Amino acid sequence: MKKIVIFILAALSMYAREFIGHVPLVEKAKEVHFGGSHLNSPELLHNILHYQKWGELFVYLQVHWFRVLFLGITIGVLVVFLLHYLIIGPKKFSHEGKGFYVYSVFKRVIHWLAALAFVIIVPTGFIMIFGQYFGGGEFVRYARYMHSVGTVLFVIAGIPMFLMWFVPMLATFDDIKWFMILGGYLTKKKVVVPAGQFNAGQKMWFWVAMVGGFAMIITGAMMYFQDFDIEMLKKLNLDQIDLIRIAAIVHNFLGMAVTALFITHMYMSLFAIKGSLGSMIDGHKSEDEIKYMHSSFYKKLMKKK
Amino acid sequence: MARMKFYCDEERCIECEGCTVACEEAHELPVGISRRKVVTINEGMEGKEFSVSVACMHCTDAPCEQVCPVDCFYIRADGIVLYDKEKCIGCGYCLYACPFGAPQFPRDGAFGTRGVMDKCTMCAGGPEETNSIKERELYGQNRIAEGKVPMCAAVCATNALIVGDEEEVSAIYRKRVMSRGKGVIGSPYGWSTAYKG
Repeated sequence: MKKIVIFILAALSMYAREFIGHVPLVEKAKEVHFGGSHLNSPELLHNILHYQKWGELFVYLQVHWFRVLFLGITIGVLVVFLLHYLIIGPKKFSHEGKGFYVYSVFKRVIHWLAALAFVIIVPTGFIMIFGQYFGGGEFVRYARYMHSVGTVLFVIAGIPMFLMWFVPMLATFDDIKWFMILGGYLTKKKVVVPAGQFNAGQKMWFWVAMVGGFAMIITGAMMYFQDFDIEMLKKLNLDQIDLIRIAAIVHNFLGMAVTALFITHMYMSLFAIKGSLGSMIDGHKSEDEIKYMHSSFYKKLMKKK
Repeated sequence: MARMKFYCDEERCIECEGCTVACEEAHELPVGISRRKVVTINEGMEGKEFSVSVACMHCTDAPCEQVCPVDCFYIRADGIVLYDKEKCIGCGYCLYACPFGAPQFPRDGAFGTRGVMDKCTMCAGGPEETNSIKERELYGQNRIAEGKVPMCAAVCATNALIVGDEEEVSAIYRKRVMSRGKGVIGSPYGWSTAYKG
């Protein structure tokens, strides 16, 4: 017991000495002030000397491509689906009978939490990208803050979502067959679509949203916190400012992919397959829908019966 | 029309940080914000080491102005790059685009993160009414409007830091280079990046 007390006291005194005997080791002018940024000092120098590496690329992409691509992808995806709806039309399935209970309450809660996160993150991201058309200022600044709030929600929902759907979302042989007929969406006929519990399209969305979403959290956090110290990247000859530039570039490109698939997901659930939204509300998917849209899953369910 | 430019003579700069402090004090900048900094290049390398004072260079076709998603920058007829703090959302893109690390962000935003941007105005204030209290609070002094030299250049003890019309500054630069007799007249440090084309 005595030994423990002595040990704790010794440890405490060591800790206290850190503060008592603190002598700043850098010149006053070069010290990083509280509230300041590394990018101000001492990393400022790296920025000036190595601007050509990533700075110019960032400027080029931001000036010429990001806005155009975001707008083009969004409008492009919307037009494709509008045409799909008008020419091929939605799929209708019989919703008679009880159907199968496919999504537990927990899964539905997680899903809707992630959905809420996306509904916040995607539009606020757009408001920032096209901020000048909103006049900037208070409103766009608020969008920037909400973008971060949405991210916190996404982190909370994303981790359990990844764990609960990791296994059923793994690629199977069905997925290749699904892509060969593009999920049966290009025909008005009711075709038997090769897919397990989740089809290849859903899987694509899952992996882009999860892996891409995770990368977006990391890159977003880099831009949000701005100051950090990663030794490994220093070894890769990357400076903090360059790392943030790369983060901004990656974040923008991933944002495009997520936006495209987010719109796709909404179109599929709200319009393309009538009544499919119900499964995320009461947890039941109609037998008819499973039979055609998730044929392999249906076979499995039948075997169980 | 004059084209205002900064020029810091690396042969004269003695890294006293006088410009940094004068700027901070003149504009009553919060702790952690330095619109002007002195950097030492090739530190420790004999014969190659030199210091220059760096702030916003008020570039031609300023990259910050180009990338800003809310278009909060504007370039005056005399080349001074100014910004509207009420439009700025603090996204940081201008900092990523800047070759000189000029944009500064106080940590006064939500949850202690980046607030709106602050940078050198060449002591020319901002979009608010000239010499109004609001302009002074948001952007600092408007010395240009009063016919004064920007603070940093005004205090420079060795006259290393010079600001003024491009032609006059260039004339001083040429005279200094010639008198040193070191040959080739290029352009002042940072000018090739800031004033392309």
